[in-house]
Amino acid sequence: MVSDVVAPPELRVAVVGAGIVGVSTAWFLRRAGADVRLVEARAPASAATGSADGAVSVASKRPGAMMNAALAGLRLYRELAEAGILDGLFTTRSTFLVAVGEAEAAVLDAQAERLASVGVEIERLSAARLRTIAPALSGDTAGAVEVRGEGHAIGYDITRRLIRTGGLKVDRDLVVRSLRRGSDGRVVGLDTDRGPIAADVVVVAAGGGSSALLGLDGVLRARRGQLLVTERGPGLSAGLPGAIMSARYLLAKANANGAEPVSSRGYGLVIDPLRTGQFLVGGTRENDADRAVADLEAIAHVLADAVALVPGLAGLRLLRTFAGLRTAVRDGLPLVGRIPGAGDLWVATGFEGDGICLGPLMGRAVADAILGRHGDLDLAPFDPARFVSGRIAA
Amino acid sequence: MTVASVLVVGGGPAGLAAAARLAESGVAVDLVELRPALGGAFHRRPIDGVAPWPVGREGAKRWARLTDDLRRPRIRIRLRTAFLGLDGSGAALLDDLAAGRVEALRPDAIVVATGAVERVRPRPGWELPGVSTAGGLQMAMKETGRIPEGRILLAGNGPLLVALAGQMIAADRPPVALVEAGDPIRHPIAGLGLLAHPRPLLEASGHVLRIFAGRLPWRRATTVERIEAVGTALAVTLRDRAGRAETIEVDRVALHDGLLSNDHGLPEVDDGAPGRPIVARAGDCREVLGVAAAEIDGHRAAEEVVARLAGAPGADAAAARRLAHERHAQQVLARVFAPARLPVPVERLPRETVLCRCEGRTVGDLVDLVDGADAPGGREIKLSGRFAMGLCQGRFCAHWVAEAAAGLRPDAPAPLSGDLTGRRWPARPVSVAAVVASALPPER
Amino acid sequence: MSAPTILWNGRPVPFRPGESIGTALGAAGVVAFGHDPAGRATRWFCGVGACQSCLVRVGDRLVEACLTPASDGLVVVSADREPEAAR
Repeated sequence: MVSDVVAPPELRVAVVGAGIVGVSTAWFLRRAGADVRLVEARAPASAATGSADGAVSVASKRPGAMMNAALAGLRLYRELAEAGILDGLFTTRSTFLVAVGEAEAAVLDAQAERLASVGVEIERLSAARLRTIAPALSGDTAGAVEVRGEGHAIGYDITRRLIRTGGLKVDRDLVVRSLRRGSDGRVVGLDTDRGPIAADVVVVAAGGGSSALLGLDGVLRARRGQLLVTERGPGLSAGLPGAIMSARYLLAKANANGAEPVSSRGYGLVIDPLRTGQFLVGGTRENDADRAVADLEAIAHVLADAVALVPGLAGLRLLRTFAGLRTAVRDGLPLVGRIPGAGDLWVATGFEGDGICLGPLMGRAVADAILGRHGDLDLAPFDPARFVSGRIAA
Repeated sequence: MTVASVLVVGGGPAGLAAAARLAESGVAVDLVELRPALGGAFHRRPIDGVAPWPVGREGAKRWARLTDDLRRPRIRIRLRTAFLGLDGSGAALLDDLAAGRVEALRPDAIVVATGAVERVRPRPGWELPGVSTAGGLQMAMKETGRIPEGRILLAGNGPLLVALAGQMIAADRPPVALVEAGDPIRHPIAGLGLLAHPRPLLEASGHVLRIFAGRLPWRRATTVERIEAVGTALAVTLRDRAGRAETIEVDRVALHDGLLSNDHGLPEVDDGAPGRPIVARAGDCREVLGVAAAEIDGHRAAEEVVARLAGAPGADAAAARRLAHERHAQQVLARVFAPARLPVPVERLPRETVLCRCEGRTVGDLVDLVDGADAPGGREIKLSGRFAMGLCQGRFCAHWVAEAAAGLRPDAPAPLSGDLTGRRWPARPVSVAAVVASALPPER
Repeated sequence: MSAPTILWNGRPVPFRPGESIGTALGAAGVVAFGHDPAGRATRWFCGVGACQSCLVRVGDRLVEACLTPASDGLVVVSADREPEAAR
């Protein structure tokens, strides 16, 4: 799990961004012996990582690069949990894809086929069987697919644990103004608002802040996701053996034929029973949003959907709402790898809603690549060269 | 011409004064109050058939004035309605508790007048049943006219305890003892400052005389070190100025260590960007200066809002002078009641001492959390430590957690209480069913 | 006419019209209200609806005992009891 490659002595790496991706990258580099500076404009997990749903899930994915990455991400979480590093922070449970009505049932069936085709353990559940194992669900459900071995991890808890176990120290409230470059255009460090930082290698994992540093105008965009947490409901929690994901989201995806959603606010529905007995419910997927604040319209919509599926939620109180601005890439695939023509300059961002699932995996992959180790994960589909092609060095 | 609309949050003296003055200026006012009756803390109304708690001649006049002024057109009073904060679209969210429905308003301005909450210093056992805040005990007394059965101990710091003891003696149900960290009668020079404030001086002397005449054990320069449950009773260990410990057994303990603005999760003062309301604050939730100041400040806030709605700055020099006078009174009282010994820093209390009651997080949990190469900031302490993350959203622990974390990590920037509480809606838990039942009115 | 009562964990507790559940319980000598769903002891504490220490269950909801008016025949149980207990 932990790379056995050792960093060259005194290799100085500056990682920009202490979200789950930056912290994971720093953790693996530090394990390999690199001298890591972890620089954060605000505080660890203060942006998308701190307002994520925490799904470590393949249930809604289609076969392809993202499915493969999610499966590998899930495996790494299991390994890190077994090794004690993420002990107690990674919960495994099933995801139940739940269909209401025939159209959703059909799309659910197709998704079950896809998941099975890549070796994911699934079970089709009849409406009657579903009622036995998930009595908190509404009687309207037509059936479900149980996706086994899925997981849940809270982004800020993972980040904090990695900071601690890695012996990392975060430079908080430190804003990076620009990259420092040598006369040949190669990156040699950072210019920050508290002075320069020299580095042999720079990794930018700064979410939406990555654009300005790397000059990637028009490549990244912010997508807002609104979520909420309820108070504890232990009785209701006992009636939900795992995360509930509405198949309606799959249906919308299927109807859109892979194209970007036209409407500026899309709704999905995941109801996740947390270890505390609380419920995490999400959420929206919104283009053109700038404020990371939830609004009543969206939260009421999500809750109405949630109550339709799990009626007992109506008896709980809403405790917190939150909204995250997630960084997405124009073509829907993350940006992970070396920036061409800029020396040892690397990027890892654009995971949108998959940052928690993929964070540790991508951190390890980037660390391996920096140290010249050929990792298991093929980063080619995520290569930033598809957008930059030497432009940055100019 | 469209009449401007203002939402006033809180039906205590500051909110009532603001609502009346706003209505007088021709503004349409929605006044929301969480409880089933107006009044706030000081003027808490009794239930039907119970005589109002004595509030002094000046208090009675104030209440009459505030309620007379309220009989103006253009004031719509909504009881049992909670203000949940501003959402991302700039709407003010109200939780109608009786109807079970959340509603979004789009007022031109909001006056937040939510009063104060008590500070209760954590001590081992403060979370036990039978332990309440002194204000909480006083609220129950004012509401029902009754003092709960059993032996009651008042403890902590500040003038509110003296007033409560005096009121209990007057009602012929004195507390077992009054334990006070300060030593107010040892500060005659500081107390001279009160001569400039005849009203609080007169009130305080009345209570003090009652305490002496009633031979109430008044343990000054003494603190409550811990509280333990012994059957259905509470064993309270006191420590006096000479370091001597003494344990007394009581049925109830009422704690109080001062007041804080009750502004958790509520919007900050704001000039109102397009689509968002102007926000002003009034009374104790702006600055804890007491009931007389709250009325003055309610009027001041109303005038400020009216001016700002007209695009003018809203400074009122006369109100500022009167508030400065009230501030001086509070400063004198703070000197008179200054604790005789420095309190034990929160971070040095026994590890098992509960800091965050809602989530059961202790001093030991905080010590472990902030230990290590990297010192977490306020928001990280909240999220990963679950401090201030529970149902009360940090109202009773955030400031202590921030203080303790700063004490434990002098090498790192001190966390702020506001980093732990945040300002996201809902400012208090709200029924899921009530949110589902909501419907947005058309945009203004 | 007998005094109105609420039913607290199955036993009648009298109250005076206008009174909250919390003060009615206090007057009846109920100091410990049970536990909340997090397992924390519940009790009268701040009296102003801020602390969430006095949660009780009415129907399928948790409510603050200090803010919620008592009404005749109202079924109220400790906050850690499941909704069925409050029916």
